[in-house]
Amino acid sequence: MSSTDQLRELANRDYKYGFVTDIDMESLPIGLNEDVVRALSAKKNEPEWMTEFRLKAYRHWLTMEEPTWPNVHYEPVDYQSISYYSAPKSDKDRPKSLDEVDPKLLETYAKLGIPLTEQKMLAGVAVDAVFDSVSVATTFREKLGELGVIFCPFSEAVREHPDLVKKYMGSVVPYADNFFAALNSAVFSDGSFVYIPEGVRCPMELSTYFRINAANTGQFERTLIVADKGSYVSYLEGCTAPMRDENQLHAAIVEIVALEDAEVKYSTIQNWYPGDKDGKGGIYNFVTKRGLCKEARSRISWTQVETGSAITWKYPSCILKGDESVGEFYSVALTSGRQQADTGTKMVHIGKNTRSTIISKGISALHGQNSYRGLVRVQAGAENARNFTQCDSMLIGEECGAHTFPYIDVRNPTARVEHEATTSKIGEDQLFYCLQRGIEMEDAVSMIVNGFCKEVFRELPMEFAVEARKLLSVSLEGSVG
Amino acid sequence: MNVHSKIQLTEAETELIRAFVERSARLPGNAQTVMTRDSAIEAIKAAGLPTRKVEAWHYTDLRRLLSAVPAYDPEVPVDDAEPLIAGSPVAAVANGMTARAPNVDGVSFSTFFARLSEEDSIAVPERGDDTVGLINIAFVSGGWGVEIADGVELAAPLELQNLHGGGQVHVRFPVTVGNQAKATIIERQTGQGEALVSSISDVEIGEGAELTWIIVQEQPDDTTHLGQFAARLAKDAKLTLFIMNAGGKLVRQEVRVAVVGEGGDFQMRCINLLAGDNHTDVTMVLDHAAPDAGSVEIVRNVVTGRAEGAFQGQIRVAQAAQKTDARMACNTLLLSDEGGFSTKPELEIFADDVACGHGATVTEIDSDHLFYLMSRGIGEHEARRLLVKAFLAEVIEDLDDEALVEVLEAKLDAWFAEHG
Repeated sequence: MSSTDQLRELANRDYKYGFVTDIDMESLPIGLNEDVVRALSAKKNEPEWMTEFRLKAYRHWLTMEEPTWPNVHYEPVDYQSISYYSAPKSDKDRPKSLDEVDPKLLETYAKLGIPLTEQKMLAGVAVDAVFDSVSVATTFREKLGELGVIFCPFSEAVREHPDLVKKYMGSVVPYADNFFAALNSAVFSDGSFVYIPEGVRCPMELSTYFRINAANTGQFERTLIVADKGSYVSYLEGCTAPMRDENQLHAAIVEIVALEDAEVKYSTIQNWYPGDKDGKGGIYNFVTKRGLCKEARSRISWTQVETGSAITWKYPSCILKGDESVGEFYSVALTSGRQQADTGTKMVHIGKNTRSTIISKGISALHGQNSYRGLVRVQAGAENARNFTQCDSMLIGEECGAHTFPYIDVRNPTARVEHEATTSKIGEDQLFYCLQRGIEMEDAVSMIVNGFCKEVFRELPMEFAVEARKLLSVSLEGSVG
Repeated sequence: MNVHSKIQLTEAETELIRAFVERSARLPGNAQTVMTRDSAIEAIKAAGLPTRKVEAWHYTDLRRLLSAVPAYDPEVPVDDAEPLIAGSPVAAVANGMTARAPNVDGVSFSTFFARLSEEDSIAVPERGDDTVGLINIAFVSGGWGVEIADGVELAAPLELQNLHGGGQVHVRFPVTVGNQAKATIIERQTGQGEALVSSISDVEIGEGAELTWIIVQEQPDDTTHLGQFAARLAKDAKLTLFIMNAGGKLVRQEVRVAVVGEGGDFQMRCINLLAGDNHTDVTMVLDHAAPDAGSVEIVRNVVTGRAEGAFQGQIRVAQAAQKTDARMACNTLLLSDEGGFSTKPELEIFADDVACGHGATVTEIDSDHLFYLMSRGIGEHEARRLLVKAFLAEVIEDLDDEALVEVLEAKLDAWFAEHG
């Protein structure tokens, strides 16, 4: 079998997580207007200030145009044909314990492998599982509560910790930031809120599994993480979505605030439905993620493994405001089939002695189009700022594309900015070496690709790293020659 | 921003349009050319000059930066310029009008003025962001067409001079290098007095031909220089392009190279010397359209004063261009607190069997290097000068013509003497 045939065969695999759970959904009528925003806010029993925030964002959104600069092509989204709210029906009488949770829901989680029940301790992970829009169950709350760590659904934080939410929400990603951020600010469904108090090192990795479920329901998550002075937290976000024919929109916001000496590590595995082999269906993933290293010696690290979605538009960024703050971005983005990704990061150096590292690995296979887009800006006051950027692309197959668009703006002479990028084919000699030792073609490619991505994978927490490796092998099935 | 909305024209845009109304009747060209010129100015009228929002102009907001358009004055005196390499033949343009051409065996010269009058030799640019093309098309009045016959090897460099005494200068140099021909061409851009200059060199390089093209831009420090160098390389053709930007107030030098023949080779070396309030933007688009071709671009920048610089380099590798080996590097020494430099090295790759890479650095002079020299008794100022010169000379020395290297290094020294 020729390598091209092997590629094709592997490309024909089905989406592993393509199942739909039948649960009664309560949805708002399709479309978006001020009434929908108000109704959404009312459904969630939000205070007046929150409703006002949403309306302000909505009104601003109306004045904005969808960005066309990303290097991706898709059918225009009709924002009036989307339902902006859906929640499991049992919302009013929330389950007091897991026994009360809809067994079908638990089944879904089991399929996803979320350790919500007995496996809780095993994984050492507290899960705030977002099922479509409303958080259903939260675990490990007591244990975290003892340390003063707040880890709860965003809607709960709005009610119970309004001061913190008011203070930090929108402080990193203002509602007027961009088209999708404005949309999210108007209609965000739910998400996670994390607050780590001063000096606390969060004893476990906090994790949320997002899962888009109801047909035609946009998912508008909003996550806010605040790490107070000297604290540490590692946060994991993983995503899978069931198979759908219609494109589903996902426009999330993640905001991170790190105060003095705080450290936040944010890891993502994104494996949403990429569409079928002709590019039909698949998730549109338009996400605004940004961290603010607000005070001295704070540190924010983004690690992402992007293997899913039909279209990805995502630039997890760091604003390095505090002196000696550190920003890191490690990314593996794989586009296969008809997937398109325009992803990268922004590192904005404002404070003195700030440092940033960018390691980006792009893999394009079959008809995939992969773009790295990054900005490194050193403001005039950022004495001794340092940046190192490496973005490597690998091409597998003749019809894919790899693109890099790094923007480098330096306004301070003491800065040291280094950027390097390479694009190459998977090494024939490496393949040959593996094959002649009896390693199957597919395993060989998987090995080589994993080696290519090693610098990123080693930044992931262990469980995630294992999953990432598996995901990459599965995603690459059928794309190798 | 709605692209269809009527824009409010800036002062410079208004003046540009007024200048066109005043001059258009006296500009050369047949009926077709007149229409082409009209449509170019209409395009500027409709969309205005480009802003940051136009990706190709991301670092040079022409709408904001072009503050005034000086009036055209054909009578203003123009100083002659000695050729860079003594004794080499010179084809000169003064104030936009062809002045004189030499006699060189195997090379024929034609005035662009004559070409415009006889045939349809300009076309509306294909790309909407080609503002340099639009301005040039609207106003171009002269220039030299150069044809180097097949197999001809030029003994000495041919120098094309675009000289002015201030005002407006819009010229073109269409050049054809025949198959297996070998030549060095120097493009000089200089003058006296405030001016708006647009200059387009359009070069066809035949099979197996070897061309070295040197652009030396030394405009007065109140002049806007809009340059464009376009070249197409046929099979096994070799182009070495060297650019030195050492003047002007607002400088945009575009490089558009297409390697359309197999086995083509493109080398670019560029030095940008930025001082005072200068704004210099070098934007390169390199298309690899054919297989087995190679390219290397090295850009070195030195920024002093309040100068702002930018380098945008885009390498596009088409699906057919397998086995392409493309490299690009942009290194900047930022020597002042108030200066800035931006780079955007882009790769767009659609072929899988290629090796492409780019690197970019921005930094100040390495303190270890400085210490090394100073510990050997060299004063700080001199040590800095030496290090900066070494940083730049490395690029110049890639040219394998000793006389040229010497002359260009002398230009470096002259620049340092004034700005260092």
